[in-house]
Amino acid sequence: MSGEVTLTIDGREITVREGEKLLWAALDNGIYIPHLCADRKEEKPDAACRLCFVEIEGRPQPVTACSEPVAAGMVVNTRSERVDRLAGTAFELLLSSHRLDCGKCAANRSCALQKIARERKFKLKVTRLRTLDRNLPVDDSSPVVTYDPNKCVLCGHCVRACRRQGGGVLGFAGRGFERRVTTFGGASLAAAGCSGCGACAAACPVGALTAKNVRLPNAGAKR
Amino acid sequence: MSKENQAVSAAYAGLQQKAALVRQSRHEKPLLLVGTATCGLAAGAAAVLKTIKEELARQKVEATVLEAGCMGHCYAEPLVIVYKPGFPPILYGYVTEGIASRLVIDFLAGDDPCLEFALGALEENEFLPALSDFPRFGVEQKIILENCGLIDPENIMDYIAHDGYAGLARALQLEPAAVVAEIKASGLRGRGGAGFPTGRKWETCLGTPADEKYVICNADEGDPGAFMDRTIMESNPHLVLEGLIIAARAVGADRGYVYVRAEYPLAVKRLALAVEQARQCGLLGENILGGGFGFEVEVFQGSGAFVCGEETALIASIEGEPGIPRHRPPFPAAAGLYGRPTVIDNVKTLSFIPSIINRGADWFKSTGTPGSPGTAVFALAGKLVNTGLTEVPMGTTLNQVVYDVGSGIPKGKKFKAVQIGGPSGGCLPESALDMPIDFDSLSGAGAMMGSGGMVVLDEDDCMVEIARFFLDFTQKESCGKCTMCRLGTRQMLDILEDITRGRGRPEDIDLLLSLAEDIKAGSLCGLGKTAPNPVLSTIRYFRDEYEAHINEKRCPSLMCQELIAFYILPEKCERSCDACVGSCPVEAIYNNADRIKVIDQQKCVKCNSCVDACPPQYRAVIKLSPPELVAEREKENK
Amino acid sequence: MELTDQEITTSREETKKILPQYPGRRGDLIPILQKVQEKLGYVPAPAMEEVAAYLGITPMDVYSVVTFYNQFRLSPPGKRQINVCMGTACHMRGGNIILDSWKRRLKIDVGQVTPDREFSLERVACVGCCTMAPVTVIDGEVHPKVTPTRVDGLLFSFGMKIEKEGGKH
Ligand SMILES: Cc1cc2nc3c(=O)[nH]c(=O)nc-3n(C[C@H](O)[C@H](O)[C@H](O)COP(=O)(O)O)c2cc1C
Ligand code: SF4
Ligand code: SF4
Ligand code: FES
Ligand code: FES
Repeated sequence: MSGEVTLTIDGREITVREGEKLLWAALDNGIYIPHLCADRKEEKPDAACRLCFVEIEGRPQPVTACSEPVAAGMVVNTRSERVDRLAGTAFELLLSSHRLDCGKCAANRSCALQKIARERKFKLKVTRLRTLDRNLPVDDSSPVVTYDPNKCVLCGHCVRACRRQGGGVLGFAGRGFERRVTTFGGASLAAAGCSGCGACAAACPVGALTAKNVRLPNAGAKR
Repeated sequence: MSKENQAVSAAYAGLQQKAALVRQSRHEKPLLLVGTATCGLAAGAAAVLKTIKEELARQKVEATVLEAGCMGHCYAEPLVIVYKPGFPPILYGYVTEGIASRLVIDFLAGDDPCLEFALGALEENEFLPALSDFPRFGVEQKIILENCGLIDPENIMDYIAHDGYAGLARALQLEPAAVVAEIKASGLRGRGGAGFPTGRKWETCLGTPADEKYVICNADEGDPGAFMDRTIMESNPHLVLEGLIIAARAVGADRGYVYVRAEYPLAVKRLALAVEQARQCGLLGENILGGGFGFEVEVFQGSGAFVCGEETALIASIEGEPGIPRHRPPFPAAAGLYGRPTVIDNVKTLSFIPSIINRGADWFKSTGTPGSPGTAVFALAGKLVNTGLTEVPMGTTLNQVVYDVGSGIPKGKKFKAVQIGGPSGGCLPESALDMPIDFDSLSGAGAMMGSGGMVVLDEDDCMVEIARFFLDFTQKESCGKCTMCRLGTRQMLDILEDITRGRGRPEDIDLLLSLAEDIKAGSLCGLGKTAPNPVLSTIRYFRDEYEAHINEKRCPSLMCQELIAFYILPEKCERSCDACVGSCPVEAIYNNADRIKVIDQQKCVKCNSCVDACPPQYRAVIKLSPPELVAEREKENK
Repeated sequence: MELTDQEITTSREETKKILPQYPGRRGDLIPILQKVQEKLGYVPAPAMEEVAAYLGITPMDVYSVVTFYNQFRLSPPGKRQINVCMGTACHMRGGNIILDSWKRRLKIDVGQVTPDREFSLERVACVGCCTMAPVTVIDGEVHPKVTPTRVDGLLFSFGMKIEKEGGKH
């Protein structure tokens, strides 16, 4: 069944495919919701970054738009004091463990964090919180990409991109604050059997995995 | 009666007959039960067991010796129960190897029941007080702990002789929907923490059509101060298993798992044995008791991650993935293990099932409160005279648990708070002691039933430190997937560490409150959603302690190591005793010109050894906070 | 940590002996890793590679699991494993002081092994003996009500010489 449903987002009536997640319904209709981890190609949402909160009328608490299927007659608000506050806290938390170096960063101007800050008028600076730099070594071993784990926001796009390329070189390791994107045994990319396709750098929304100044064989559309 | 139902009745009657014979033969000679659950073993039960066996051989006394589980009186381990014809069954506590030999020589070979070592009798009698005369007996009511410590957990026949598996036999003769209806009517709420109505969960699973369904017993017990589930599995594994088989029958599952922490090796061993014995008795496998229902169980060992107690993480773990929670809905009852409908219930929840099926929903509802029927099992630890396990009706007050069951605070210290529900729970102050405990009253007060761990804190325990301890735990145990929990708990922990080290800032309390609110509202799973509770409840009830740490750099309970110093009162030091000097692991204590002991503050590692070593008649070592007080005192004494 | 050729061969061979006991579903991963660790004392990289090949998943998938769970070790443990309980009850009764004592005497941090591979030090969550807090579990045996002096006594009974200023020879 591929019916369509009509719902209201920020006062606008929108008609989308049944079963679509709210986040995509909004984005496809030009309504912005902050997001980092959501991935259209995945059936089950990770709902990990906790940025995409919205209000749905009749629900006591804000919900994550990337995990919420649309429903006919649903009334959604992408802005409210609660939603902005949650997104603001999640954003500042991410910044607190993201090495801020925009001026020198390869992702300057294309970085998703900058976009979120712009759209929501968040400061690109850690004000209330302590900075949590993890001081992990930068991996410069690959001829095509540079990996700076200190900038990673753990969205998982690179891991999925690598898996789709048939590589499965990148993955998550560790738990809690130690969770990180790495390779088998923590080896450098060059030693880990990376084919150099560059899919991960193309997928990374921030400046953690960036392409070196070479032509990528797989320079796919940047998100 | 249908043919299947007749077959089930006949098969179960056969098992009962066999069990009755085993039981009868066992009581023909004296019987000794030694408590060898983990608590007993830690207190030396293995040596006691060995002594008893050797002494019996030496005295040529015929007796049966069995290893039983835990009766809940952990403070008095090792425990031994002696059944001797002509005497009431007697429970002995604090049994040493010496006492063990005396029991054999004087009581079994002779006729002196050594009452000086007895805690009490298990039945009313003329010789000695029975346990039922203890004040705690008036408060306790045992449904799931009823047989713990009294039966042999490694022999299924002992369980059957106590009407074990009668609930299953009955459930097999009912329609699955009728079993679900009975549980629903009983009002049973899940004992894994959240208190979700069990019947409703089963109903969803039963009503979701699927080619396969699963039932899982959640025995991950990750709360760092709780040991109820462990004790039940070690002491009466068949009870849990029977509950699980009934759940499977009710929802139509053909496979099940018991997910046990690998840190509980004895529980794993006893459960695996129970599964094996149940299979041999036709209580597991194809066509159980001839009733046409088939079910298989596997014991799965968890690998040490607290978050795996969360149901979706637990499922991921069984599927061979890291234990990372998934977004709900779908809830497991609709789409769980391998995407199939799956019922996940806690050990205690399942342990109630057999008696509810046997005695009916109304019987169950007659205990407890209307909103939370039945009993609650608590693991009592911390600053209590009688630590151990207890089971009380829901609605019992904290006062009764702390003072009647636990016999209050040792060493004449003052009660400060009780921590309930572990890392998801909170600390309740003295003013909450009169509150009747159930799921709803606890959440109202800012704590949570959680798993049932209850740690009593006295005046020496610092509330900021306990909050820091729990945040440290949740922060380490966060799966790390979602931002709020991975980084939010880390930020809160850093703030708390600053406060306990005297580096807190006045605005930190508000920052903690604000972060706590967002982490609760914004985390993906229950771990993050409840992690701030210990901080919120301690700020709510003990804000003055936070302020003392921040504003005066002082720990009022003299616990936070960096805010205290050890000091020897010159006027109290006996000079020639030297006990503290020898106790210090870093040689920080020296003699001054008058042979009075003095602590070198640079060397001191604040290990408390000298405080313990100083003989009680002097009590010359004290703690001071803030540490600068030492210099002031030293100057005064010049 | 570099493995010797001998260690690599042994871990591959032992793992290969374990694998056929399992049908080879992804759900077997954790039970297999537990068996491997039971046999070898840790889960070395070659073992992870063997397991990955057997289950048809990437070595990275196995590494994700091994590094997620506390139970799995990536390097061999010491001959004696010292596990200090850091559960609530033990903590409130001075568990951290006991942990400090072990660290001071062994001169290692949590998660490390002494250079002579005699001792490894770990913190564990409640082992269910809260009523005897603080506890230390050494090679599976629970030692109740431990004090700094008892730490010295235990090490002495293991034949370690203790210098008062801390550390060992
Ligand atoms: C972080 C976390 C840890 C949990 N740990 C346990 C546990 O150790 N044992 C348990 O039975 N339930 C635990 N739960 C609750 C389970 O997710 C689930 O609700 C429960 O097993 C359902 O069983 P019940 O309905 O019988 O309570 C935990 C939940 C969370 C969020
Ligand atoms: S490296 Fe980039 S794409 Fe990969 S998880 Fe980190 S932020 Fe996401
Ligand atoms: S709340 Fe914590 S444990 Fe739960 S999914 Fe998020 S990071 Fe993982
Ligand atoms: S996009 Fe929804 S949680 Fe990350
Ligand atoms: S807290 Fe240490 S045994 Fe429970």
